[in-house]
Amino acid sequence: MDELLTQFLIEGRELTADAHRALQRLERAGDDAAALDALFRAIHTLKGSVGLFEMKPAERMLHAAETSLARLRGEDALLTVGERDGLVAVIDQLDRWIDAMESAGRLPETAEATAREIVAEISREPGEPAGLPAPPPDWLSTLLLRPQFAGRLPAAGGTAFRYSPDTDCFFRGEDPLATAAAVPDLLALALLPAGPWPEFDEFDPFRCRTIIEGVSSADAESVGAAFRLVPDQIAVGRVGAAAAAPADPGAASQSALRVEGHKLDRLARLAGELSVAVHGLDGLAGRAGLSDRALAADLKRAQAAIENATGSLHATIAAIRLVPLAPVLRRLPRLAREVAAALGKEVDFVIRGENTEADKQIADALFEPLLHLVRNAIDHGIEFPDEREGGGKSPRGRVSLDIETHGERLHISLADDGAGIDPEHLREAAIAKGLVEREAGENLSTAQALRLIFAPGFSTAKAVSSVSGRGVGMDAVLAAVERLQGSIEVESTPGTGTTLRLDLPLNAILTRLLTVSAGGELFGLRLDQISETLRVEEHEIHAVGQGRACVIRGRTVPVLELATLLGKPGETTGAARLVVTEATGEPVAVRVGEWGGRLDTMIRERSGLLAAIPAIGGTAVLGDGGVLLVLDLPELLS
Amino acid sequence: MTVRVADGVIFLEGACPVEDAEPLLLALQDCAAAQVDVSGLERMHLAVAQLLLAAGPAIAGAPEPAFLRDLLLPAIAAFAREQTVSGRSDADL
Repeated sequence: MDELLTQFLIEGRELTADAHRALQRLERAGDDAAALDALFRAIHTLKGSVGLFEMKPAERMLHAAETSLARLRGEDALLTVGERDGLVAVIDQLDRWIDAMESAGRLPETAEATAREIVAEISREPGEPAGLPAPPPDWLSTLLLRPQFAGRLPAAGGTAFRYSPDTDCFFRGEDPLATAAAVPDLLALALLPAGPWPEFDEFDPFRCRTIIEGVSSADAESVGAAFRLVPDQIAVGRVGAAAAAPADPGAASQSALRVEGHKLDRLARLAGELSVAVHGLDGLAGRAGLSDRALAADLKRAQAAIENATGSLHATIAAIRLVPLAPVLRRLPRLAREVAAALGKEVDFVIRGENTEADKQIADALFEPLLHLVRNAIDHGIEFPDEREGGGKSPRGRVSLDIETHGERLHISLADDGAGIDPEHLREAAIAKGLVEREAGENLSTAQALRLIFAPGFSTAKAVSSVSGRGVGMDAVLAAVERLQGSIEVESTPGTGTTLRLDLPLNAILTRLLTVSAGGELFGLRLDQISETLRVEEHEIHAVGQGRACVIRGRTVPVLELATLLGKPGETTGAARLVVTEATGEPVAVRVGEWGGRLDTMIRERSGLLAAIPAIGGTAVLGDGGVLLVLDLPELLS
Repeated sequence: MTVRVADGVIFLEGACPVEDAEPLLLALQDCAAAQVDVSGLERMHLAVAQLLLAAGPAIAGAPEPAFLRDLLLPAIAAFAREQTVSGRSDADL
């Protein structure tokens, strides 16, 4: 493909996403001048870009939008509902046309007529664009470009601060962190070294060498009040006007390099194999220790050094692979509008935290499952406007997608304020479809009943609509998320709405395993599927009905033997070593022979003969070159 | 004492006042590859946070208080990421 076009496809999509975000902010606050400026800039830049290609109708449409925005800015007027709809139409249409340029290399035949319609809808008297707002101070412009604050900046009327505590403040009994924690409505923090740090061996822990920066949605006065005792160490600036969009978006990416994804994948794989290979030195050092202790110690030291370097290598690769989710999510708002329109429903779809970064592999694989969940929420969750009004709700439904990170995990929640899911209805439907026996079905807890939506071939919609398909899908969504080593939880209140929570790793390269033995063989269990490991005495495990169970912190938890599950003879030792998993929704304890060690490794997808065995989640290569079978606990227990 | 070392893992628990900076520094100097578990953390003095920032150890667990979990630890993690990207952390290790 033409390089210029490739570039346009990337930038054009980024700009339409920018325009959407600005428009959403304008919808919330009609007088948000910064949002209006950002929208104007995006439309203006897009107009310039489409001019380079055979996209005349798009250019005319963008010109009309730009004219209408210039008038708004010139007159300080508020955006009307009609104008907003017109602008949404422009951006959505452009988005479709960018897709068309990618797939067909040209606009569809109907483009001319479509553009004429849209232009007629938004045409206004031309006005002169107003000047851009004054630039913010240096510290503030730097602060706003920090990755820590990406996606966390307040829309308008917010405040940023830079707190440079005195070096001796710890001696005076001050805790600058406690001071910063007292800032109202804090959205994000950054900790930075004040000047170059000494070697860690010479670090004086009682000298403060850290600068704290933060952003808050509160006004400058309330933020300043938190620092009233340290007025000489604080700078406070308003965020909003000039700051909402980075002053120069090019600045951050000036030295950026576009690298093809598969090259990074290969680098990551090689680094993974390197760390496995280093584990091999463990055994060597042990063997060397039998004859030559000094040699063994040297080997250990060399191993530690390589492990350190490998660790840094992994962290670096993982950081390079982090990409913002925004490009993946940018089509969702348009698709949500199309789905709602096709069904005759009114829905506000909001995304928060789209600038959150995650591993490329995770980001790439998220679109399909999220699209499906959004479709489902609109189709099965949100009621028709008259039903909603009858239930005392606003006729417009709301679906919100919230993305945030918690340590090394990516948390995505999709909430709708629709009809909710009735667990009783799910139980009935599952029994009627023969997915569960009647008795088992009636005994399902609410949490287990809600998980029935993930059962293959399960659909509770009374009518099959053209949008969500025919009840295939939620199982595919769950499978896709589990392939990424994630999990989904469902919460729902009938009449009030449903929230789906996805918990995914931020970095998908290495998997932490616990090795265990069963029936004399070694297996790997994924640590993210294990909630705890514990040792109980044989007599604490009781026969309950057909099975066995023990009490863990006041809860009765079924106990299964891993060896038996794998068709091997059971364990006979006195003390029982249990691995507790909640990956199936409820805690289950699996008794294993011995616990081995923990291992960070790459799991290879099961293939060939192994693919036929459902309980095998994949394989990992051990330090001695042997192959470790990695078990998939949810599949093994299902 | 709210800094506890067990099995190559440094546990930070409870309030972690300024006095904990020294034991944490020693623990981190002892074992550069140590993992720091913060699940039981309730508060953390900047002197302690500063060491996590400077040493950049692997951090595990999510403490209960929202300020630590949602604001402070992500800030420390973001700094560590930036360091590894620009390649400066190798010198610190």
